[in-house]
Amino acid sequence: MKILLLKTLRDLRATLAQSVALIVIVMLGVASFAATVAAYRDLDTSYNRTYEDLRFADVTFAVQGAPESIVEEILVLEGVRNATGRLVIDTGMELPERDGETTDPIRGRLIGLPVPERPQVNDVLILEGRYFNSTDETSILADTHFAEYFHLGSGDAVSPLLNGRPVEFQIIGVAASPEYLMASPSRQELIPSARSFGVFFLPLEVLQKHLGLEGKINDIAIRLENGADEQTVVRRVQEKLASFGLSATTLRADQPSHANLTADVNQFRDVAYLLPSVILLVAAISVYMMLGRHVRAQTPQIGLMKALGYADSAVTGHYLSYALVIGLIGSAAGALLGLPLGSWITKMYAAELGIPIIQTQFYPDLILEGAALSLAATVLAGFAPARGAARQTPAQAMRFDPAIAQVKGRVSFLERVIHLPLELRLPIRNIFRVRRRSLTTALGIIFAYILILMVWGLRDSIEIMVSRNYETVERWDISVSFASLQTDSTGRDIRGWSGVQAAEPVLQIPVTLRTDTRSEEILLTAFDPGQTMHALQLPGGITPREAFAGGRLLISTGLADLLDLSEGDRVTLDTAFGPQEFTLGPTTDEMMNAVGYLPLDEIQKRMGTPALPYNGLWLDVDDSQSRRIKTDLYRLPGTAGVLRKSDLVADIRGYMGLFYLLIGIMMAVAITMAFALLFNAMMVTVLERKREFATMRSIGSEIRRIAMLLVTENLLLWLLTLAPGLLLGHWMALQVGTAFSVDLFTFRIVLAPSTYVFTAAGIFLTMILATLPAIRRVSNLNLAEATKVMN
Amino acid sequence: METAPLIAMQSVGKTYPMGDLTVHALRGLDLTIARGELVVLLGPSGSGKTTTLNILGGLDRPTGGRVVVEGEEIARFDERRLTAYRRTKVGFVFQFFNLIPTLTALENVEFALSLTGRGSSLIRRSRELLALVSLEDRADHFPSQLSGGEQQRVAIARALANRPALLLCDEPTGNLDVETARQVLQAIRDLNRREGATVILVSHNASIAPMADRVVRLHDGSVAKIESNPHPAPVGELAW
Ligand SMILES: Nc1ncnc2c1ncn2[C@@H]1O[C@H](COP(=O)(O)OP(=O)(O)OP(=O)(O)O)[C@@H](O)[C@H]1O
Ligand SMILES: [Mg+2]
Repeated sequence: MKILLLKTLRDLRATLAQSVALIVIVMLGVASFAATVAAYRDLDTSYNRTYEDLRFADVTFAVQGAPESIVEEILVLEGVRNATGRLVIDTGMELPERDGETTDPIRGRLIGLPVPERPQVNDVLILEGRYFNSTDETSILADTHFAEYFHLGSGDAVSPLLNGRPVEFQIIGVAASPEYLMASPSRQELIPSARSFGVFFLPLEVLQKHLGLEGKINDIAIRLENGADEQTVVRRVQEKLASFGLSATTLRADQPSHANLTADVNQFRDVAYLLPSVILLVAAISVYMMLGRHVRAQTPQIGLMKALGYADSAVTGHYLSYALVIGLIGSAAGALLGLPLGSWITKMYAAELGIPIIQTQFYPDLILEGAALSLAATVLAGFAPARGAARQTPAQAMRFDPAIAQVKGRVSFLERVIHLPLELRLPIRNIFRVRRRSLTTALGIIFAYILILMVWGLRDSIEIMVSRNYETVERWDISVSFASLQTDSTGRDIRGWSGVQAAEPVLQIPVTLRTDTRSEEILLTAFDPGQTMHALQLPGGITPREAFAGGRLLISTGLADLLDLSEGDRVTLDTAFGPQEFTLGPTTDEMMNAVGYLPLDEIQKRMGTPALPYNGLWLDVDDSQSRRIKTDLYRLPGTAGVLRKSDLVADIRGYMGLFYLLIGIMMAVAITMAFALLFNAMMVTVLERKREFATMRSIGSEIRRIAMLLVTENLLLWLLTLAPGLLLGHWMALQVGTAFSVDLFTFRIVLAPSTYVFTAAGIFLTMILATLPAIRRVSNLNLAEATKVMN
Repeated sequence: METAPLIAMQSVGKTYPMGDLTVHALRGLDLTIARGELVVLLGPSGSGKTTTLNILGGLDRPTGGRVVVEGEEIARFDERRLTAYRRTKVGFVFQFFNLIPTLTALENVEFALSLTGRGSSLIRRSRELLALVSLEDRADHFPSQLSGGEQQRVAIARALANRPALLLCDEPTGNLDVETARQVLQAIRDLNRREGATVILVSHNASIAPMADRVVRLHDGSVAKIESNPHPAPVGELAW
């Protein structure tokens, strides 16, 4: 049997390039699987560890204002394990110079925490400096994301506006909070932006004193007893808080940071399982194709082996061992590459997000799984052709000429009538007469399309979604929000500022949308139906005025789908001014799902205010003055936040950076694999036809002529696979997109036309490139040898 | 005065390095062949027959000596000139036929013709060549649908496509039964007589020797014996 092992090694060496290509394919499959799954697990455990260690809240309640003593009352409720009462306010904030430049004011979230004992719920992790003691009057802790972005640390000063007046605080440390692992201001503003939003912690009493709210809290975070029924407990607490202007109840699942992370981790999981699975599948089928060709080409040798007395099992085993060697080397290389890549991704990800407690682990099971999967695939792929070859009688097998045997049938009528030049006739013949070969090559090409379009589709979809949302839908340059309702004069004043071209009043409030069976937290935005700052994406031909007619509520298409709602349905909004019933109008097809729109006058009617109620403005401003306007807006008393769209888009791009990192890695895998596939297909084609090409050269064909034949053949194959490749690639991208759907966004797979063009062009180029070494091989053929014997 | 020979091989050597030792396929082979001759190369296995043919056909290069064909030393040719030489001067018939599997009998001939010319006359000429080997009625068959002898005759028609001065046949009957082998040899003989092609025919079957103008016996890489045949026997009279 030793001699067969020797032959296996010889075979490997003789087809080294293709074997390497196959090993690379297996390696990439295993590596991307091991890396992404490991990173997913690491991230998941890291989040959960952080949550556990810092006692992350199960439910958070926001009220207008309640006495601190309410916490004691809540604590004794059945099912409540811990409760912490806090004061949480958003305000404008001045920062010290950064890198020698004055910085824009930012939106600061100040959270008053109990002192000196640590909060029982939503504790902070001190990364630098210390926690407060009872004597701290001007001390503040900065959240790590913000501190990092602005290079802030102990000793730096920040000045939040409290009651319209800047109050200077000294930073005594940097902290991380389970509520702000992703520092998203709200569920409607999920994109974290350290540039414009920062979280700070300070002693509760200090904050109360500055705001004149002694003894008051507006935020209660609770942790449930193990096994307590969430709904029941929530109802009990809500009853307790009803009289204090309960404005929001946020379950952990809806908590912005957590929801964001979950969406992220889930996306990660989808990438981790879906893409590598496809890649591994492609690898398996490629091995199958390659091995099938390999074995068929060796049929005469198999006949000889059997004639010499080798048993079928020995012959099958021999070819299986080739598959096994490919699978083993590929898996081992994949593991070696994948695991370090996995912890690298975890660290990059965690560092970028500011996850404080990182756990990376070694997962031997992933290597085993990946290896088992790919070994099973390769062995399975090797088995069928090997057994098929072994089943033939030695005489049959030895007489088999792989080149001649593949051509079947007679010259068709069509071929007789249409007399194409030989340069075209021969390539066409090769494609249509040697079907098995063409099919396997075509499959390789189609796989390349699938691999690339599936990954690129994700990138395109996000790019298109973001640019559509911020170019077509949101038309404002600056959005300013105030802590309370404004009078007419605020808008009038600002409209008069230099550089401000227009300012439209809006009312934005978080509300809970309820149907009979379900509820969702949404951001309700009310404006004049004639406004121009937000382009509602209504079904064809309907104007906003028609959509809003009769005071109807418009919700996003994504939300309507999620809650199974449609035009004409009745829903209830739980607002700070009581529950309100609305009829739904047509849906608006926007990126963010958790949004709803109403005409301002309808809100005025429901609230019973004398003037149009608004707590924000959408501004159209001169680009050159937008920074100054932002600063001036922050200086206004009562400003809660100022957002420049350009900053927002930059933040989104930064936020997407991680996702792009992942896509980039997958893209590299996809492209390498596509190349390996095409290269393999081209090389095998030449190997199979070695004798044919040697004969051509022997009778005086120049290399150029043979090269032209090969290129023409590839061009034809490319043309033939163009439509199925693009269609199947598009289809696979859609499948991936479905797996990616998230509650928060409406995510639709859209591929830019240029993507199709570039993919098709790239594949053609790769095919030609992959043909070059094949052509070199033809020109280096030893004619004396290649024409002498069969194979 | 005698006309210049078509081929002059002078102390031609060919060695193959095989690890530590060197295999001498040819050692100091001298051979001259006149235009229009039909020469049969005989010799035991491993004596260097195929090597000699490959060198003459421009498929292989000698490692020593001179090979002059029509006054030119082909061993000095670069790859391009060698390709042109194969295309225009030589016709090769292989032991294993080596037809292009995806081309029909007619197209295999047409392929060779298309290397030197173009136009609609290619097809006509291809048919003529097939007729020469009595295969007009198999023109549209693929190699897989032809018998061994038929394939070999297509190979001969192809070899003659560009009116080569030199037709090299390496055991053209090695894979054929007696009757088919006769047909193939007849075709070769006819071409030699009618078209005036110089033919070198390799065999290790001595019984075809009588049909040759000259019989060259190789042994261990050099010429052991040359016999002239003033009255070559017709193919039909060969005793197998
Ligand atoms: N590529 C090669 N590498 C090493 N040795 C070779 C090679 N080709 C031929 N030889 C050796 O050169 C010698 C001559 O070979 P050649 O093929 O010319 O013999 P032949 O007379 O045609 O034999 P046969 O009748 O068996 O075909 C042999 O000893 C052979 O082993
Ligand atoms: Mg030989």
